[in-house]
Amino acid sequence: MPDWKKLVGECIAPSALPSASHNEVVSELAAHLEETYEGALSQGLTEPAAVALARQEVSDWHVLAKEISRAKSEENYMNNRTRSLWLPAMANVILAPGLLMILQKLAVQPHVLWIGNMAMVLYLPWLITLPLFGAFGAFLAKRAQAHLVNRLIVGLSPALAVVGAFAVILPASLVIDRHLLTNFPFAYFALTICNWILLPAFALLLGTLPFLRQPNTLARTEA
Amino acid sequence: MTKRIRSKIARGSGELAILSLLAEQPLYGFEIAKQIGERTGGALKFTLASLYPLLYDMEKHGWVEGRWQANHAGRDRRYYRLTPGGRRQLAPLREEWRTFFQALDSLAGVSHA
Repeated sequence: MPDWKKLVGECIAPSALPSASHNEVVSELAAHLEETYEGALSQGLTEPAAVALARQEVSDWHVLAKEISRAKSEENYMNNRTRSLWLPAMANVILAPGLLMILQKLAVQPHVLWIGNMAMVLYLPWLITLPLFGAFGAFLAKRAQAHLVNRLIVGLSPALAVVGAFAVILPASLVIDRHLLTNFPFAYFALTICNWILLPAFALLLGTLPFLRQPNTLARTEA
Repeated sequence: MTKRIRSKIARGSGELAILSLLAEQPLYGFEIAKQIGERTGGALKFTLASLYPLLYDMEKHGWVEGRWQANHAGRDRRYYRLTPGGRRQLAPLREEWRTFFQALDSLAGVSHA
């Protein structure tokens, strides 16, 4: 019986594939050829004919190595979750607050809404642009074939980042100043949450919604 | 039909065939190719060269997951199983192919050919 592993190893050079996956790929392909060969023998073919049949499984090893390399290299470089979730979310989390900072630098005056004796500071130009950021993030995630939940997370990521920041800052502030809750009533926190989380989240959701339809996988395979 | 379009349709149908098979049970590469050939009466045929790039691509997308384990003969084989992501992919993929064939049927009457 031919040494299939040796044969495959000779046809796919170690340099053709990422080093971490070369041995595994060679073992897997060799096992496939071995079973093809054994299947042919069990059907009554002679050994040379069985070897020839197994060899017909690959017409061009160079092309095969290139295709496997493409699949494996991208896998090693950036996994699917990174492409479809973390990177688009990070881009959105940086860009949306980035625009707010630019508006503040440009001295764009916020709209102050008084509710009783509490002020709600609204950066209306920023809020108006947030649907675009929601759409941008969800589009990036959809393009990377993220499923629905991930597309929603990416679209809302700037608001979710604020939730995360609150989850860290609030307990830390309570540890530092135990009288915080006494000094700032619950209504103040509710207003802050509404101002910096709920309103932005709603605006982001408006942009995200069109990208929450199921992906067109047939179109993707044809792209 | 150009070679490019043919190859893309073959790839799309290959993804659907593999996902459908793995939805039933985990299989390794040779078994996947064998079962697709047997169950389609030879109409769909995967060679090593066409199967593994597709499998690795699907693994990269997180639709399938490969893991080495011994087969019934005690040999180590890389078994592929459907991931939750692959399972989610299967229903819309089936629907798209159904729509595709219905559209083709209404245009060319392929189901009556």
